[in-house]
Amino acid sequence: MSPSVKFSRRQWLAGVGKATAAGALLMMAPAYAKGAAGKVVVIGGGFGGATAAKYIKRRNPAIDVTLIEPARTYYTCPFTNLYFGGLRTFEQQGHGFDELRTLGVNVVHAFASGVDAAGRTVTLAGGETLAYDKLLLSPGIDFRWNALEGYDEAASERAPHAWKAGEQTRLLKKQLEAMSDGGVFLMAAPANPFRCPPGPYERISMVAHYLKHHKPKSKILVLDSKDAFSKQGLFQAGWNRYYGDLIEWVPLAKDGKVVRVDAATLSVETEFGQTHKADVLNVIPPQKAGAIAEVAGVTNESGWVPVKHQTFESELVPDIYVVGDATVAAPMPKSGFSANAQAKVAAAAIVNALAGKPPAEAAFANTCYSLIAPDYGISVAHTYLLKDGKLAEASGGVSPADANDTFRKLEAEYGESWYKAIAQDTWGTRA
Amino acid sequence: MRKATRYLRRGAALAVLLAGAGLASATATAEPSTFDVTVLAAACANCHGTDGRSPGSIPSIAGRPESILNDQLKAFKSDTPPAGTTVMGRLAKGLSEPQLAALARHFSQISRSPSPEVKQP
Repeated sequence: MSPSVKFSRRQWLAGVGKATAAGALLMMAPAYAKGAAGKVVVIGGGFGGATAAKYIKRRNPAIDVTLIEPARTYYTCPFTNLYFGGLRTFEQQGHGFDELRTLGVNVVHAFASGVDAAGRTVTLAGGETLAYDKLLLSPGIDFRWNALEGYDEAASERAPHAWKAGEQTRLLKKQLEAMSDGGVFLMAAPANPFRCPPGPYERISMVAHYLKHHKPKSKILVLDSKDAFSKQGLFQAGWNRYYGDLIEWVPLAKDGKVVRVDAATLSVETEFGQTHKADVLNVIPPQKAGAIAEVAGVTNESGWVPVKHQTFESELVPDIYVVGDATVAAPMPKSGFSANAQAKVAAAAIVNALAGKPPAEAAFANTCYSLIAPDYGISVAHTYLLKDGKLAEASGGVSPADANDTFRKLEAEYGESWYKAIAQDTWGTRA
Repeated sequence: MRKATRYLRRGAALAVLLAGAGLASATATAEPSTFDVTVLAAACANCHGTDGRSPGSIPSIAGRPESILNDQLKAFKSDTPPAGTTVMGRLAKGLSEPQLAALARHFSQISRSPSPEVKQP
């Protein structure tokens, strides 16, 4: 809240309600000490943060926008599964920040370590302090180490999660390639909520594609902490068609929940005491909002970030907006697409707020394509609008169960085209 | 000129209509809001590219005639979407005809290729 405004927004609105509309807008325009248009700091250069920085600048180039992201090249999680399938290189996952600089965004490659919400400043790991009028966090996820017994950061060096793109992704790929024919690729899949609901199952599909062609005597075992998953019917039909009994999926109800990991022996124990031994062990652990969200005080007891869905401003701390996987935005899934869509709504809301205007009506979409085999894609697509101030599905669903091969091939192509489009829309880069 | 005025009138009427709908659904938890087609249109860019200029095999929508875009969107929304429709039937159904019309007008007014003079938010 700006220093000149000492009372709550509700009192403020009640007061201005009596004035004319034009008068109210003029009165609401806050004064910014640092410059006419205001200063925005964005933390996180992924789908949410890079999109927000870009769209704030596009809407009002006079706003001073700083993006803080440690990595010079950002590697996306979406499409890493195609890397496991041998259909893409790891380098194709990387995106730089040159277009954002061209737009006038001040891109700082540093680690943001602190947020002083009262003083409205961000502290970098090097000690530098940045002032803001509006702060946008796109923190992604962090893992709850040891929430699954035996699975901490050290264990992930032997049993990779590969659920943040980077060295973990390369490690899992290396292990998959080193596995002998006849080995067991074991995935421990998490309970909801987690980043990218269809992601584990697309990964299974792409690992199966690799094994079928290179190590056909191998097996995939999925031990799942839930009984149902995204696009389940479509995935299972595709698995039957392409991979047969190469894949075994064990739901919660059939003792699929992993409760203990022994990274040293690459084995896991389930809820009812069964031990399973792997040759490659991929553990996708329980998750929470990225650390900076907790530092900024915007998380609640769930470990995630409650936000006002109309603007994606924190429900807990004024002038801090949060987008992407870190937020509580159900029924929107935690996906790169959602983060990009939420970032544009938040960017518009920030630009309007800095000009003293009310936010625009919010509208969102999400489409998640998954590849089961090179010419066989499936999707889930929804439009989301607000209902009583909360996100609600306006329409949507999954690909039809009875679609023909032409349709599946088209969705495989559209998936690839989607990646190019969202990479361009977010970072301005071509995939 | 007359054509432009007509568009403006239609645009203004649409804005009032949509803003009205927005205010009617607003509650104590939601702040008052206004309709801004660029916010609605931004969700299209995730697949169709920034400003509707697609870098891949998903069709570009920038600079296509308004009537064609509008007819296509209405067809997607209908109970019998055109043959070969993949996700657009699922996505268009949740939007109102005035919202679809606003999108059609918005993308029709963007040039097919980027130009330094014309900046679309």
